[in-house]
Amino acid sequence: MKHHYWEPPIALYLFLGGLAGGILFLSAVFNTFVVPGFAEVFAMPVLVSLVCIAIGCVFLVIDLGQPGVFWRVWTTATSIIKWGATFLVIAAVFALLFFLAYLGDAWPIFAGLSDLLKPAAGFFLGVAGFFGLCIMMYTGIMLSTLKAHAFWATPALPVLFTVSAISTGCAAVVLSIGGWPAEVTLGTLIVSEVVLEILHVVDIILVITEFIILMTMVLSFLGAGNVTAKKAAKRWVCGSYAPLFWIGMVLVGLVIPFALYVGGSGAASQLVAPILVLIGGCLLRFLVVNTDDRAPIPGEIRYYERVAKPDAEFVHKWTYGENIF
Amino acid sequence: MTRYVMVIDQRRCIGCHSCTVACRTWNKLPLDIIYNPVVTEGAQGTWPHVHKSWTPLLCMHCENPECVPCCPSGASQQDPDGTVWVDPKKCLSCKVCVNACPYGMRDASHLESRLHRFVRKCTFCRDKRQLDPDAQPYCVLTCHQKARVFGDLDDPESEVSKLIGSVKTERLFEEFGTEPQIYYIPELGGKA
Repeated sequence: MKHHYWEPPIALYLFLGGLAGGILFLSAVFNTFVVPGFAEVFAMPVLVSLVCIAIGCVFLVIDLGQPGVFWRVWTTATSIIKWGATFLVIAAVFALLFFLAYLGDAWPIFAGLSDLLKPAAGFFLGVAGFFGLCIMMYTGIMLSTLKAHAFWATPALPVLFTVSAISTGCAAVVLSIGGWPAEVTLGTLIVSEVVLEILHVVDIILVITEFIILMTMVLSFLGAGNVTAKKAAKRWVCGSYAPLFWIGMVLVGLVIPFALYVGGSGAASQLVAPILVLIGGCLLRFLVVNTDDRAPIPGEIRYYERVAKPDAEFVHKWTYGENIF
Repeated sequence: MTRYVMVIDQRRCIGCHSCTVACRTWNKLPLDIIYNPVVTEGAQGTWPHVHKSWTPLLCMHCENPECVPCCPSGASQQDPDGTVWVDPKKCLSCKVCVNACPYGMRDASHLESRLHRFVRKCTFCRDKRQLDPDAQPYCVLTCHQKARVFGDLDDPESEVSKLIGSVKTERLFEEFGTEPQIYYIPELGGKA
């Protein structure tokens, strides 16, 4: 049976899209409700999210069979992929406007533009944050609508992806808050510390929540899923994906960061733990995208195991290059 | 109205793979694309009570296809006569339809140039039927066992209507709600 139609660039895009969405969502929430008036500390996190969106979009487009005409994605009404692309573009545009509003602080050449945009910076970040939330939910919903795949077609998947996206966004904000182009003043330092303290607690809660959702999803598939889902879950729990799942995702991505957040201090909780959370989030997308098991038609697996490997080179020579194959 | 369907008589199929070869020859398919594999689970039962049945597959041309609404570029579409097809001029090869199909009957060839791929699938020989409305798909014409019958389900006089109305038929994965339009006449009470 044929598998893995979606290759690693798509998994990486889902991770980077979710990460960018998480950063924008958290930045918007903190800027609007928690520490209003110090939007410049979120300039660096927003820049990180812009870079993530840019890299993710590059991966998304180069994975297409016809990258030159990617804009055709907006030509129908029903497709969920169209909504994802729309959210991504709106979030990126408003995030860029927000970033430009504070770029002038560091590069005087942009000062005029920044002064123009600054009064609306909070609004820009709010819109970007809302569409960031949409991106996070979209990455999971897109997979869960493909009901041919037993491991994807579950309401748990969008929830898991959203929680993981906020968690990785949290980690990225912790790593980047208060950086360039914000000027280091007493105010920005205090605000950064306050946000770090809050995010510290938030990420502990998110890591626990993600652990619960992940375990519920995988173990309920193992115990109560249909034949296909059970087979896939078995591969996660005690099969070929088990080392990546237990050591990579659960231990490195969730348990160790949790321990470091709770018990560690300084670099351990502010540098190592966020990086591990990011690794765990990336691994989650790769494992989920690779678990594209479809219920086989009786005899199908046997057929594709026996079919000869395509030997295009041979056919090409044999037909003196006339054949289109 | 016209509703094209195919009835596949598994009692007649002997697993010669002629339909597979005819399809890929006439449609000039790349080597890694097979529109209509003929699959089997091998010999079943215990000697002397053994049997082997074959399931010729192709796109199910579903009444409610999963692969059409998910397409972002409008390349994957369905004709009023039920034929599901992909317009290569519009396809982006994002492969969401490939992942949406519960039957695994779509794919883009990896042997084509990297930047000009598009998703391919069985079209009930749509291009041939556009030239001659009464034309039959190549897999039907080539089947010397007459195991494949193609026709209009809305015409009560057609062979497919008579077969579906008189013989027990089965369809694959009806639980997905896709209303597949390939009807199998099973062998030995069968398992289509």
